[in-house]
Amino acid sequence: MIGFDLVSKRYEGGHQALTDVSFHVDAGEMAFVTGHSGAGKSTLLKLLAMIERPTNGVVTLDGQKLNTVRPGDIPRIRRKLGMVFQDHRLLLDRTVFANVELPLIIGGVAPADRGRRVRAALEKVGLLSYEKQLPEALSTGEQQRVGIARAIVAKPAVLIADEPTGNLDPQLAMEIMTLFAEFQAVGTAVLVASHDLMLIKRMKKRVVVLDHGKLVADVPATEVV
Amino acid sequence: MNAVRDTRKAPEQPEKTRRSEPRKVGAWREHHLWSMSISLRRLGTRPLGTLLTVAVMGVALALPLTFYLLLGNVQRMGDALGRNQSISAFMKPGQNAAMAETAASALRGRPEVADIVVRTPKDGLAELAEVQGFSGALQSLDANPLPYVLSVQPKPGLSAEDVSRLVESMKATPGVDMVQDTGAWRQRLDALVGVGGRAVALLALLLGIAALLVVGNTIRVDIQSRSAEIGVLLLIGASRPFVRRPYLYAGIWLGFLAGVLAVVLAVVLELAMAGPVGRLAAAYDGSVSFGGLPAWLLLSVPFASAVLGWLGARLVSARQIRRAAAG
Repeated sequence: MIGFDLVSKRYEGGHQALTDVSFHVDAGEMAFVTGHSGAGKSTLLKLLAMIERPTNGVVTLDGQKLNTVRPGDIPRIRRKLGMVFQDHRLLLDRTVFANVELPLIIGGVAPADRGRRVRAALEKVGLLSYEKQLPEALSTGEQQRVGIARAIVAKPAVLIADEPTGNLDPQLAMEIMTLFAEFQAVGTAVLVASHDLMLIKRMKKRVVVLDHGKLVADVPATEVV
Repeated sequence: MNAVRDTRKAPEQPEKTRRSEPRKVGAWREHHLWSMSISLRRLGTRPLGTLLTVAVMGVALALPLTFYLLLGNVQRMGDALGRNQSISAFMKPGQNAAMAETAASALRGRPEVADIVVRTPKDGLAELAEVQGFSGALQSLDANPLPYVLSVQPKPGLSAEDVSRLVESMKATPGVDMVQDTGAWRQRLDALVGVGGRAVALLALLLGIAALLVVGNTIRVDIQSRSAEIGVLLLIGASRPFVRRPYLYAGIWLGFLAGVLAVVLAVVLELAMAGPVGRLAAAYDGSVSFGGLPAWLLLSVPFASAVLGWLGARLVSARQIRRAAAG
């Protein structure tokens, strides 16, 4: 589902963010990407989200090579991705419902289906009763869960998250990771960038470790202790 | 959170179905409906800014409408007052009634002529006698020195060239000594109205460009203030046309509302002028009437203005969204 084959990324300023990184994440698999700050975790997700293009190597998503995607096709491919950001990036002038509904509007889902699917997504993250609230009225954890509802509402084939628990207390962080694991269980490929080693250990999922842009370890879920 | 999550349903499998063709059409329509409503809501969330933009545009568009109204009424006034302006042909001394009638008959056949009245020397003398101070002088005359006069009434709406041609033909009519065209001022007025009409058209063009720039600037500022939102929309799969559409609709709404305001202002001015013009009409025995703006113009202004708004938004939105996305 997700493929990185000998992927390197050098930014215009000369910074080498990634060097010959190769790994694959299958449908129904969940993997953490970890490493210290500046290890290349975010760059990896940016390549997947087509915010950046690799300098070398091939990035694939659902069998499609992202290196050669025409700009006009990027929105269609991005709709296969559900993205969760550390700062949740909600639209603060719209209600929780309207925020979660956005990917469905973009995807052209019929209005009759939208309400049902938005409420189902909000129910999954435990925020159904908050649908008419503005994001600013919610706590950081609740805002993050709205961000997750927005990422999953269109039932994406791939869920990627960049430090999704960075602002949350350990209990909330664990609950959100459990939520991600539930999506993995129904066939979604989940890739989470995180530097929270305690959380990663508790989740017992595959761990890809980056150091200075190089893949230094790829630990299967069964070997995580 | 746990208490709430206990009632949660299990996640559904990722969606793999593609949109069918009818859904694509439906989605396109829904995107437009969504863009229309979201743009209107956004304008509503900043009422002062919207009001100011609409007011500036509305006043700019009302100005040419008002000038058009004034010009139209000057033209109507000229037409109305000029309607009774006849051209006088003075017969040569010694011409009798039969000769005057022959000349009148010759002129009646011309297409420019509405009516001809033959005024006898006796009629002329009687008219002069009514003028204060003349009656005493006229009594001292041995004989009536006045000639026969053909009072020719041109058809309404004649061009200056037609009137000029009629005057020449009257001069060439046998027995006619002199022709006096008291309606020459109409030609000058027509020329002035022509200049005014061109000035109004140029003014409308300039103010239309100004309105377009006002919308463009409003949309530019709006896009700048929403650059973070644009970034999020693009990241979650929105295409640039999808992101751009609400801003184009915002331009259309602003233009349409400004057009409606311009029409309201023009109608208010029209009503304000109706009273004084009515009094003027009474002074001219009702021959002058006030003409309002035509219905087709009033109805078309909001739509033409909406097109201007769309153009203004289109002018800036693509570039600004590209910049916002890059940021």
